[in-house]
Amino acid sequence: MINELLLQFAHWMEAQEYSQMLVAGYYSYSWLEATHVLTLMVSIGSLFIIDFRMLGWVMPNVPATTIAARLHKPMIIGFVIMFITGALLVYAKPVETIQSLWFRMKMILLLLAFINAWVFNNRLKSAEGNWDNDPVAPGPLRTGAIISLVLWCGVVTLGRYIPYDWVDCTNTTNTTILWAAGCVDQLNAL
Amino acid sequence: MLGSILSQYARSLAVFAAFLLMVLVESLGIREAIYPGLESFFNWMNQSSWLGVIGTTYGSVYATVEALHLLSMAVLGGTVLATDLRLLGIICKDVPSETLVTGTHKCFRWALLMAILTGIFCAAGVANKVYFMEVFWIKMLVLITGSCFMLFIKQPLLTSRPHAQINPWTIRLLAVTSMLIWFTVAATGRWIGFS
Repeated sequence: MINELLLQFAHWMEAQEYSQMLVAGYYSYSWLEATHVLTLMVSIGSLFIIDFRMLGWVMPNVPATTIAARLHKPMIIGFVIMFITGALLVYAKPVETIQSLWFRMKMILLLLAFINAWVFNNRLKSAEGNWDNDPVAPGPLRTGAIISLVLWCGVVTLGRYIPYDWVDCTNTTNTTILWAAGCVDQLNAL
Repeated sequence: MLGSILSQYARSLAVFAAFLLMVLVESLGIREAIYPGLESFFNWMNQSSWLGVIGTTYGSVYATVEALHLLSMAVLGGTVLATDLRLLGIICKDVPSETLVTGTHKCFRWALLMAILTGIFCAAGVANKVYFMEVFWIKMLVLITGSCFMLFIKQPLLTSRPHAQINPWTIRLLAVTSMLIWFTVAATGRWIGFS
């Protein structure tokens, strides 16, 4: 049911004039994709420095909360640009993207990464004591940093897999993969 | 007298000499003479070297290494931005710039090493194509320039003395140059994918 609804929505988006313009433009799609990828340096670059600091890998002599607070703004700016360009990339090729297994897995990891970020921020605010000047953050914050690193590495890797067609709807007959990727037509044809 | 003055700027002079050498290589037609001879090496990289064979045979391995390349570029870009924006006085104003410069450099070097190693693998997988791409050669040139700039000019200068003793415009110039160089490296890398 959800797959049918998502496919209908994707077909509706694909029929939009602006969606077709984004793909048809010689440079528009490439510029979007380039901006999406290059903003990684701002968003994930800043995030990883914060995570590395929690683990004591960079600037152990600078208070951890100072690094987290000062890099928060550029990180958020980076993520906002990434989400806008990411949404436009989906809007440009909606059917292909929504029926991509990698895209769906990426969205799940993104969701988990945001939940982790929320938990991490709450832990950071509630962490008491004089650990701030310690080279390594307390255990729960270190765990949060490691989970963050793993999840974002997964998000980037799955994002890189999206253009590849190994498990595209037309390249597999495995029903589990077809269902997970939302290949409605192929499932109905079986 | 002249020797003592020049010895203070040995690294900068070495980088300038390298730049001059590149200009000579280009203007005297040396590059054009060498370029055809490199084609067989690039074909060997793609078809016979184990890096090229793995890259062309196993698409999933190639894509995963591409992701690692992106991640290392993200870390590299993060350290460059954090340092340079601090040098420009935009972020982390309450953290001494000296601390940030030394604190992120180790991370930068690891990210650069990782980006170069994964980049070699990625290039080997499509070596017979990138050889003909102008943007690939521009990226290589900027990458070499950037690495020399970071390791021989920016970092030695910024760690040689307290930043208060360095002309503020020199610091600003270093930061802007650094950001421009690494942005160009990343952007040309992205453009290789589109070409």
